[in-house]
Amino acid sequence: MANPLTLLLPVIPGTTLGKGLGEYISQLYAALASIGTVHYARGVFLDTSSPNLISTSSTSTGPFVVAVLTQYDGSFDAYIQDFISQAGTVFDALLPNVVGGAAVVPVADNAAAFQAFIKQNDASQQPPNNGSTYQAYAATVQQILASVPAEPSSNA
Amino acid sequence: MPDPAIDYRDVQGTILRGYRVDLARHFILAITDAPAASALIGQLVDGAGGLPRITTAERWTVKPECFLNVGFTAAGLATLGVTAQQLATFDTAFQRGATSSDTATLVGDVGESAPANWIGGLSNGAEVHVVLSLWVDDDPAVLEAVTARLRAAFVGCLKELSAHDARALPNNEVHFGYRDGIAQPTVIGAPPRKAKHDSPDDQQQVATGEFLLGYTNATPGVYSLQPPQLSTNSSYGAFRILEQDVAGFEAFLTEYAAKAGIDVETMAAKVCGRWRNGNPLELVPDGHAPVLPSQQLNDFTYVSTTAPPDDTLGLQCPIGSHIRRNNPRNEGVLGTDSSHHRIVRRGMPYGPPYDPAHPDAVPRGLIGYFINASLTNQFEFLTGQWNQLSDFVKSASGPGGSSAGNAVFNISGQDVFLGVNDPAASSFTLAAVGAGGKSNTVLQGFSRLVTTRGGAYCFLPSITGLRYLAGLAK
Repeated sequence: MANPLTLLLPVIPGTTLGKGLGEYISQLYAALASIGTVHYARGVFLDTSSPNLISTSSTSTGPFVVAVLTQYDGSFDAYIQDFISQAGTVFDALLPNVVGGAAVVPVADNAAAFQAFIKQNDASQQPPNNGSTYQAYAATVQQILASVPAEPSSNA
Repeated sequence: MPDPAIDYRDVQGTILRGYRVDLARHFILAITDAPAASALIGQLVDGAGGLPRITTAERWTVKPECFLNVGFTAAGLATLGVTAQQLATFDTAFQRGATSSDTATLVGDVGESAPANWIGGLSNGAEVHVVLSLWVDDDPAVLEAVTARLRAAFVGCLKELSAHDARALPNNEVHFGYRDGIAQPTVIGAPPRKAKHDSPDDQQQVATGEFLLGYTNATPGVYSLQPPQLSTNSSYGAFRILEQDVAGFEAFLTEYAAKAGIDVETMAAKVCGRWRNGNPLELVPDGHAPVLPSQQLNDFTYVSTTAPPDDTLGLQCPIGSHIRRNNPRNEGVLGTDSSHHRIVRRGMPYGPPYDPAHPDAVPRGLIGYFINASLTNQFEFLTGQWNQLSDFVKSASGPGGSSAGNAVFNISGQDVFLGVNDPAASSFTLAAVGAGGKSNTVLQGFSRLVTTRGGAYCFLPSITGLRYLAGLAK
């Protein structure tokens, strides 16, 4: 059964991310592909000044929250150093703009604190959202990749 | 910026050098008087008062009479006066300790291997403060003479909970009959091993910081802790007493070789990854071949672009074999790769050789340290992930393509030597060519053959750190 990550990172009020969320996210995706345990991942930009958190105005001052949502195999704790090795630079760039983030940067030298920071900001590890999740299959990412083609055959 | 050169005089010897000796004795100690124990540490660092001197990683020209190194548990450091705030900066696993139930579950110290059953006072983690290890070349009289000097010095400051002896078997063998100690990581900046003892692997050198705090590790980052005097040039060791069931292993080999349709020596090679004579399966498919020269014994990897020698699928050397699990070399694994999870092994056999003609119940096995700069990311990672799981391998097919199979399907269960191996779940895969592993032979139902009889997570301070501890408790 894969594990959920619902990482909610509040951007420091009055500031922005520094660069487009898309740039952070695409670097993160490359790292996740190499790590090999993540089934799906997406980054979502939320605006707490909007009633349904969906940003409606490019001139809004937020405050904003960056959410990273994934479903991943195995133990996050056991793989924290490997995760940092692959994705640490993304978090070193992003976290100074996040509440409480500066204290754990550079993450490569602060693995335990970074791990604690993620846990604290992972809604799926905190009540009331740490209950069961639904999954259609029990296979791991690697079992799936070994069983089905990664890319659909071209039918252009 | 490159790391500074290592000052070998400041590093405890066993971290960077294997001692080529036949005898060892490990003292498990409780501190009864912290200021007096502190003072003794200072004497041992200097070799004062007729006491042996803590061995450093400095090169010697004349082999010392004995080698001595010392480690402290979290409970031991606290007793000496390291504060709770400082201890909170140490490795997370070290803080938990070897007897914590979380640790035991994680590393598979369950059932008979559980800390509650440990010998020599090791089950009471709170009382295990110091592990003092003495190595002697080959003269038992020297071992006893140095022991007597140490024991006289323990009076009034340290209570000896137990002492555990090790004695090398001929030909670097271990009780299961394998030649051991062939592969060790080549650590950047470490003293080079003598050519006659060296079996260089074809992997990159390993970052210094994987074995010493204060240098760049593989992440890359730097492990450090508070206070600074205890940080640079220190390391950690998982002290382990691992009892080996030799009769059980020979019975396992006989039974399962027959099930697999192979001979006993081939079965022994398949579960290990090396023939018992030390030849790696990847280089030597024939058990009767002569032993390779030292320089070649370790010079292989698993994945190549051409077949031969490609063994992505584990057809020669099973993906679930002991050496491949503990060092996957260039095989694709989750996370990063093997260079992030290497370990230095400093173990020796204990107990008399087993004679099948005269079976006995005398305890025998391996005793010593697994050394690393991060217990969490190295010892516990290897034990909890690569030795106890089978889903850490990345999807990969060799040059034959997916119709020949995929690495993912060619490993099952846990490591035959280090896994928990509950017979209801144990499994070992002998791979064969075939899509989805359909032609694999899967052996099941075997029991655990190695029982943990004791353990302690030790911090191995630098010489600077030892002098700091010597002055701490007043």
